[in-house]
Amino acid sequence: MIAEEPRLDGAQVTDLARALETELARLIVGQKELVRDTVISLIAGGHMLLEGVPGLGKTVLVRSLGQALTLSFARIQFTPDLMPADIVGTNVIREEKGRREFQYQAGPLFANLVLADEINRATPKTQSALLEAMQERTVTVGTETRALPTPFFVLATQNPIELEGTYPLPEAQLDRFFFKALVKFPSEEELLEIARRTTGNALPQLKPVADANAILAAQQVAREVPIAEHVLVYAGKLIAATHPDRTGVDNVKRYVRFGASPRGLQTLVLAGKVRALLDGRYNVAFDDVVAVARPALRHRIFLQFEAEADEVTSDQLIDEIVEKTDKAKAAG
Amino acid sequence: MSSLEAVVLHASVVAVGWVFVVVVAARLLPIEQVWRIAAYGVPVAFLAVAVAWALARPRPMRLMRTADLRLGLKERLSTAWERRLAGGPLDAALRRDALEHAARVRLSAAYPFGMRRGEALLAAALAVAAIGLVLLPNPMDQVLTQRRADHSAQTRAAATIAAAQKKLAAASSPAPVDPQVQKILQDTQAKVAAAPDPRAALQNITPAEQQLLQLSDPQTPARVSSAQNLANALASTTTGSATSQAINASPAKGAQAVRSLASQLQSLTPQQKAELAKALAQAAQQSQDPAMAASLQQASSALASGDAAAAATALNQVASQLDSLQQQVSNDQEIAAAINGLEAARQQLAAQADRDAGQTPAASGSPASGSGSGGAPPSGGGNGNGNGSGNGNGNGNGSGNGGSGGTGGQGSSGSGSGQGSGAQGTERIYVPAPASSGQPDTEPPPLGPGQDVPLTPYSQVIQAYQQAALDAADQSLIPGSEQDLIRAYFSSLGEPVSKQ
Repeated sequence: MIAEEPRLDGAQVTDLARALETELARLIVGQKELVRDTVISLIAGGHMLLEGVPGLGKTVLVRSLGQALTLSFARIQFTPDLMPADIVGTNVIREEKGRREFQYQAGPLFANLVLADEINRATPKTQSALLEAMQERTVTVGTETRALPTPFFVLATQNPIELEGTYPLPEAQLDRFFFKALVKFPSEEELLEIARRTTGNALPQLKPVADANAILAAQQVAREVPIAEHVLVYAGKLIAATHPDRTGVDNVKRYVRFGASPRGLQTLVLAGKVRALLDGRYNVAFDDVVAVARPALRHRIFLQFEAEADEVTSDQLIDEIVEKTDKAKAAG
Repeated sequence: MSSLEAVVLHASVVAVGWVFVVVVAARLLPIEQVWRIAAYGVPVAFLAVAVAWALARPRPMRLMRTADLRLGLKERLSTAWERRLAGGPLDAALRRDALEHAARVRLSAAYPFGMRRGEALLAAALAVAAIGLVLLPNPMDQVLTQRRADHSAQTRAAATIAAAQKKLAAASSPAPVDPQVQKILQDTQAKVAAAPDPRAALQNITPAEQQLLQLSDPQTPARVSSAQNLANALASTTTGSATSQAINASPAKGAQAVRSLASQLQSLTPQQKAELAKALAQAAQQSQDPAMAASLQQASSALASGDAAAAATALNQVASQLDSLQQQVSNDQEIAAAINGLEAARQQLAAQADRDAGQTPAASGSPASGSGSGGAPPSGGGNGNGNGSGNGNGNGNGSGNGGSGGTGGQGSSGSGSGQGSGAQGTERIYVPAPASSGQPDTEPPPLGPGQDVPLTPYSQVIQAYQQAALDAADQSLIPGSEQDLIRAYFSSLGEPVSKQ
């Protein structure tokens, strides 16, 4: 018998998200956009790729999230010698009552919150071990498939500057991340505040604001937020505009090799719904779609070599696409 | 509300523009009832703008989207409108949220009513220009006045013809030609009423008169003369004096009296018969009607030979000829009355045509525009009064009985062709202008006692006279056929017609 999840209304989801943001802000200095994207990704049920130099609080963010949500937390440090079995688990021989048998030893993926630290340092073989877990939320070892706990939320980090000895994530792997957030270096004021908070005797202790059931219920409510047809059409126009053969943006034709996949549109819509709830609304607005466009699409747009040569980034192209896609006209 | 104000503003601009266009057009073209046309355009403009607005107005969904964008409602209204019938878990909250936020903003901010400066200036400029044009004198007013006067004159002329037609139709004893006369008058009336202007209407009068003249019998004057001669001859006899008076009264009474005389021949004495035969022979000699002359001669011869029965038969033939004459006289009287009606209509049309042409009446000394035909058929059998009517210099071509005939058998003035015109107060008489231009139009010095009128040779004045007459004929409303008559007249004088 399946236990019925507690039912939340939209206002409760809003309160939950805001409480979570408030709680994380007690420990995370600044990075409001990062925190907002993380909460959106969590309530949308997606995974998140954090890109930033070391020491910006990526790990702290994930750990804090686990504390604030009373969810199980696991951290996997990806290294070149990390094997798939190290993360998904493996069968080990056990002797019991004079009889030997294989027994499955679960890996660290079996947690609600998984921090895949420096994911680009593992080999592609190990990286691909995450594919099934992230998409199907199951793990197959040998001939047996096991379900991961719910909610299952992977936060992966990667260092954009130490490229020696790294293995860039393949497109298929990247596409499975709901958001890709860029962790910015804090401002001078934020740096001072970090120093004040972390160099004292006591660190702030976070109190849990929700549990797994509440997160699952919030995810369900988020999917029920209505989106008007013309807003949906606008989101579709944005996705189409990332493709060089469909766009009217010259720079996209010049610099983009592949545009965003349908998962990109799903992400825009779903993230827009969550953002609307966080804003206290029950409908998706154009602003919601625009606000989530960068984290939802930046890792789904694959650039040509010329873009790198001309120092053109995905974010710049996304901004140009948003600017040149008229809302009223796109929606008819 | 904003939409209503916009519609009113647009409609006002269109209405003012319409009035301006009508006012401008009224200064370029003669337009009747210009204010009515302008007034009708105003509600039509409002209606057209309202219809255009109804056809072009945005759909509710577009309004909602626009309101969302302009009021910053973050697509609340449009989403709620799109899902107004949906029953999802969050739809009720969505609608409530949308209504709450919509209530906090002013919808007029989404659709602000701004008086477009250009539109307002255009309306004001058009209004001022229209008022200015209305206040300035309009040259087309004169044209319209003239057009109305033309129409009125044509209507009056048509009414005059209709009145003549009715008068003839109301006669107790219609003439045999009455249906043809009625038809001609009716056709002419319709043509006059339908003519574009009085000048064109005038061109229908002369052909109608000519048609009427063709209905008259050219032998009637001769027969009337013969009847008169018979009456004169019988007046001197003892047995025919009563018959003479009857013939003078009318041909019909004369016919009755002649039959009575024929029936009394048997009872006459030989002396009376001889006297009567002599009078009949005299009448036969003077008669211009061969048939009547033959009958009278036959009666005279029979009486002289004592054959009273043959004489009675011949006199009965004379009576029949008098009956026929009575019908011809009736015809001519009806034709004359019809022509009189047409001439009255001609007067009205010609007067208006002259005013249209800016010409002054002939009395002022300018070349006259006398028109008309003196084509009245002679009538008045026995009275000897031609009553042909004509205008101006119309050349009558009717023949009338010489006026000196009078009644009571005074003499035997012969019948002959005459000018069938009688000058009336409304007729214009052609007065030739000075022959040479540039000479002062001064009165000649009065003649002293014993001085004779200075004479100028014919050859010195005829050409100038001819030229003036032809010029007048060309410039006036004289029909082409009658202009030909004028040219023919001067040709008959032996001088070449210089102007064709």
